Amino acid sequence: MIRLLQGLGLWGLGLALALTLPGSAWKAAAPPAFPWAALGPAALATASLALLAPLLVWLGGPTLASRRSLALLEAPPELLWAALLLALWPPAWGPPGQTAWLVAFLATALPGEVRWLAQALPGEHPLPRAWGERATRRVRWLVLRRLGVRWLAARLPVWLTATLVLERMLGVPGLGTDWLTRVAGRDRRGLAVWVLLLAGLWLLTRPWQRETA
Amino acid sequence: MRPLLQALALALATLLAPAQVVEESLQADPGPLDFIQGDSYEQWILQSLAGDALVGIRPDGALTPRLATAWTRQPDGTLSFTLRRDARFADGSAVSAEDVLWTFRELQRNPRASATKRAILAGAEFGERQGRPWLRSPKPLGRLLLELARVPIAQRGQPGQGSGPFAFRQEPGAWVFTRREHFLRPGIDGLRFHLLPDPSAVQTALRKGWLTLGAPLASPGAEPPPSHRRLVHPLHAQFVVWSHLGPGPLRLLERWRRDAFPARLLGRNARPSRGLWPETLGFPVRSILADRTPSPPTQLVLHHLAGDVALERLLLALRERARRDGFDLRLRPLEQGLLFERLQKGDFQLAGSVVFFEPQPWAVLEYLEPTGPMNFTGWRHAQLEAVTARLHQPDVAAWEELQALWSREPAALPLLDFQSVIWVDRRLQVEPSPMGLYLHTPGAAGWRWR
Repeated sequence: MIRLLQGLGLWGLGLALALTLPGSAWKAAAPPAFPWAALGPAALATASLALLAPLLVWLGGPTLASRRSLALLEAPPELLWAALLLALWPPAWGPPGQTAWLVAFLATALPGEVRWLAQALPGEHPLPRAWGERATRRVRWLVLRRLGVRWLAARLPVWLTATLVLERMLGVPGLGTDWLTRVAGRDRRGLAVWVLLLAGLWLLTRPWQRETA
Repeated sequence: MRPLLQALALALATLLAPAQVVEESLQADPGPLDFIQGDSYEQWILQSLAGDALVGIRPDGALTPRLATAWTRQPDGTLSFTLRRDARFADGSAVSAEDVLWTFRELQRNPRASATKRAILAGAEFGERQGRPWLRSPKPLGRLLLELARVPIAQRGQPGQGSGPFAFRQEPGAWVFTRREHFLRPGIDGLRFHLLPDPSAVQTALRKGWLTLGAPLASPGAEPPPSHRRLVHPLHAQFVVWSHLGPGPLRLLERWRRDAFPARLLGRNARPSRGLWPETLGFPVRSILADRTPSPPTQLVLHHLAGDVALERLLLALRERARRDGFDLRLRPLEQGLLFERLQKGDFQLAGSVVFFEPQPWAVLEYLEPTGPMNFTGWRHAQLEAVTARLHQPDVAAWEELQALWSREPAALPLLDFQSVIWVDRRLQVEPSPMGLYLHTPGAAGWRWR
């Protein structure tokens, strides 16, 4: 109950911040229409990430957390991935669209999320490693199943809005752009709806987060 | 027989050829097309393509007919407009006086209507006489007509429907305009705008041929690809600094702006301003005349917009120039909304922002009039009302008097004049003007593919 109240308190603070955002727009304009068309790609991107990251961790185990190659992939910011993609994209193919955005999003987000999950796995020496590969995979599966919902609840708001840099560079307006446009235009109501929706998503994941003894 | 076959082949090729659509980029989401509420630079572009105002402004700044073929001034001071018979909305209905009156009425009635358009129609009365709309305003005739060019007419009851040369539709991530039957006879099939807020992404898209035209990065060494040509033309745009410490700091800035900015940093986009008001609007170069001003403090704080790298470099150069004279100019970058709030509240010592002026000299009254949207310092003068009452035309002597009033105690000073530097596909013929490529008449309707 206390955790629920703490969570609600934080989302309430976010809502208050959205409604009382300081500043005013120079040229007040009608708020942008919600980009419904971006919901599909965003769902596909988050679903891909939600499946690929646990799968890689299930295969790789907790040692992935300290793997240098993963850290190297994690280091470049979104800006660099997007610039690289733009530079390498053949002119004859036309401007990169949603598919390129999805690839860039996975390249940006996957290494970090894999490390996040791998770090949360318990050590495997001496057990369950001593029981064999099958037992090890089984333990990883049980841990990831327990961890998965919390991980999604914590990361989903970030994934939905933090693709802004990729959207700006690749010219694929999505949910991040919508969020920023509402901040720039001081659409406080629109931002409040955003916060309420994210809070709703967090509340929906609550039943799956309960620990059973 | 052969000429007939050739003609048939040519006709078939024309029919089968893909539409040559101009690919462009927008820096910010313009929001839904709305002739009543829409009020941003991007929204003005959309409205200029999908709508028609009663009058237009030619690239050289002169008035030209648009929806109205003629206008006459009646003895009682009203302006009466004769509407075109061949102007139609997307559903085929003719543009009528009722549409004009509905647009004007909505702009006055709706509290969320565009502030710019509401100011244009402030104090105006309007009506209809024998199918002709009329308008009476306290503003001088010349100013009113030039300002009306910024008020496209919407279809009655439909704020998103105009009668312009292009039909509008929104696609996911793109704003698309398609040529339609129109009295301006558009020469291109259409335009497609993509949201590309990042300038480096725009430059890459231009280099790869994905954009027909666009503004490259403001780096002096940037050369267009072989498929594009560079187009440079002045804009009615300046970087203006307001002072809440009186004209003292502005006198210093007037001196510093002459030699503070290295040519390498200025590039092609900017040059130091010379006068008090935009030379592109026809104002002669004048200096500040305030001689007996108290010396400003040696530590000055300048708030400005964050995020414009080129401008921030120029301001750093200005800071170094100030240091040579023993002044500590502290730069405080702010997010746009926060900067504007500070300006509105007058909570600043010095504050700078890029200003896009309306294409007529009366635009500078926004600095001076008590309710002017750029009068952030509460500037006032006892003679202002008497002088502005005599500003009937752009070339009357009263403008000199007005500038003299301002020069004795200015509240703002431009530091930089901006030019538009764009790369345009060599095959596309466009007509630039200080208003940009879109906001004049015929605007994009006058573009042609070679």
